[in-house]
Amino acid sequence: MDKLKGANKLGLYVVSGFILFLLGNRVDELRVYQGASIAVFVVAISSIILLTGYSGQVSLGHGALMAIGAYSAVISRNSFHTPVILTFVIAVLIAAIGGALLGAAAARLSGPYLAGTTLALAIGLPSLANQFSILGGEQGIFFDVGFPPPSLGEGFTQYKWFFWIAALAALISMWLVANILRSRFGRNWRAGRSNETAAALSGINVSRSKILAFTISAGVAGLAGALLSMTIGIVSPSAFPLTLSFSLLTGAVLSGVSTLSGVMIGAVTLVAIPEIADAVATRIGVSERLTTNLPGLMVSTLLILTVLFVPNGPVEQHRTRQARKAAREKH
Amino acid sequence: MFQLLNTILIGITAGAIYSLMATAIVLVWRSTRVINFAQAGMALLSTYFGYEAMVHFNSFWIALPVAMVGGAAVAALIELVFMRLLVKRSSTGPIAAVAPIIATLGLLGLIKGLISTFWGGADVRLVGPVTNIGYSIGDKTLAFSPLKLLTLCTVVVLMLLLTVLFQKSNIGLSLRASAYSPEIARLSGVKVDFVRTLGWSLAGASGAVAGMFQTVNGNGAFSPESIEFSLLLISGFIAAIIGGLESLIGAVIGGLVLGLVVSFVLMYISSSLFFIAPFLILLIILFIRPQGIIGVKAARRG
Repeated sequence: MDKLKGANKLGLYVVSGFILFLLGNRVDELRVYQGASIAVFVVAISSIILLTGYSGQVSLGHGALMAIGAYSAVISRNSFHTPVILTFVIAVLIAAIGGALLGAAAARLSGPYLAGTTLALAIGLPSLANQFSILGGEQGIFFDVGFPPPSLGEGFTQYKWFFWIAALAALISMWLVANILRSRFGRNWRAGRSNETAAALSGINVSRSKILAFTISAGVAGLAGALLSMTIGIVSPSAFPLTLSFSLLTGAVLSGVSTLSGVMIGAVTLVAIPEIADAVATRIGVSERLTTNLPGLMVSTLLILTVLFVPNGPVEQHRTRQARKAAREKH
Repeated sequence: MFQLLNTILIGITAGAIYSLMATAIVLVWRSTRVINFAQAGMALLSTYFGYEAMVHFNSFWIALPVAMVGGAAVAALIELVFMRLLVKRSSTGPIAAVAPIIATLGLLGLIKGLISTFWGGADVRLVGPVTNIGYSIGDKTLAFSPLKLLTLCTVVVLMLLLTVLFQKSNIGLSLRASAYSPEIARLSGVKVDFVRTLGWSLAGASGAVAGMFQTVNGNGAFSPESIEFSLLLISGFIAAIIGGLESLIGAVIGGLVLGLVVSFVLMYISSSLFFIAPFLILLIILFIRPQGIIGVKAARRG
């Protein structure tokens, strides 16, 4: 894979885009909607992977950054009637500014201090919506990206339109993130993560590099937030609870926190778990209490099992095993 | 003037409970270098133990020790079964720095889910041993009740006990030694593994007290999703970080600072700043002193 040139990689994304397009035409409405949710999670989880896996900073507050993106998208859309694409660009930019501010604070902190600050942010920020009337309070603001263009035909549903937008955004941001991670910046981040002193000695400005990581990650999270509120059609504080930030971390850990290529694993799992839980509950016929709590229990259990048994993610695990096997064959 | 007095009294009582929670987090941090996000979940579970005891014996003074013992046992179990495995399995690779944080978050979800499964999501009630109706001066009612006085006394007694344990006993010496340097402590014959489990159970017990008093000082009702416990999760944690994570006295100061500032903000600025105020306080303090009020500079690299 590493030998492929950038242009060929771009081809790979175009091919996956085409496959997604074909898939989107063949499955029913529910699946299309789930596809859009998966695309949203892919974007959100890749922002965590960039930050935590590569730059080594923990954020429990990405739900709040997503909220910043969502609110800036909805406000620009509703007040200035910006076109859809521009709306998402604004979401990215404003969330990135928020991320740069947070990153400036974060570069001074490490480990538990950073986790604590971002956790407080995740709880505090969404509640600000009740403070200013422009943010629509607890009930939120409607977010409408408009109907699909009529040229796409009669049978083209709203959900399919969501899926197209989300999938396209996911492909573009994945391509960008993958390239950033392979660039000088990505190398700087990894160097800073493994040994700050050594990185500084080799001429990397560690704190600037950390702030940059936070800024880019926040921008990507802002995009995810805008996409998420597009699929649910409303922006409100309750769309960005603390559990959202936690699920994103779960998704990142399931994907393998330092392997961007595993991001689909985490995203699909997060979307599939409620459905699996539902199927299990009806099959065995458990009590009503257990049925409502089963998805949460499954996510937590999966998270714990992953951290204990596949700590660096399935992709990394596979790579290590391959490397070991290759080493054995050489001898 | 009267309002000022009330604000201070409310702040101190809330701060005392936060201090207990912060103490629990500091105890775990010192013994295993792990920030336990599941601490509030464990406190919630202990409060449910207390609630069960209350149902059977109808006495707060039986329920409180039951909750403490239950909390300590759960914490010890988690340390023995879970944390040791975690340290063994995921201390290499890019995950190493975040594994404990993620694992304890998973634990928080698991504990909350199990509680909701066993006890349901509805509110259950816990009644304090004394009334929560404020003392009155003349025709005015203070925001300070016998219950709040009891809370303060309990917290002070517990903190004194912990301080004596840490400063005057052999166990306290080994607790401090293992926190300072596990390797050297092990070489000098301290049973570091046992000491770690002990640190966790002490934390479990003080978290249990925080949970019980947080509930009775609120409206007495609690549930896995109740706002009191989100507050406990955040505040204990912020208080511990403000205090610098390393010392018990730091935890107490952090708790009181947080309680007082939040109380003043709510009273004099706006009550809708409930959740954002702690965050702002934390940011301001960390900007001035990134290692917390009483913290060692090197400690923040932990």
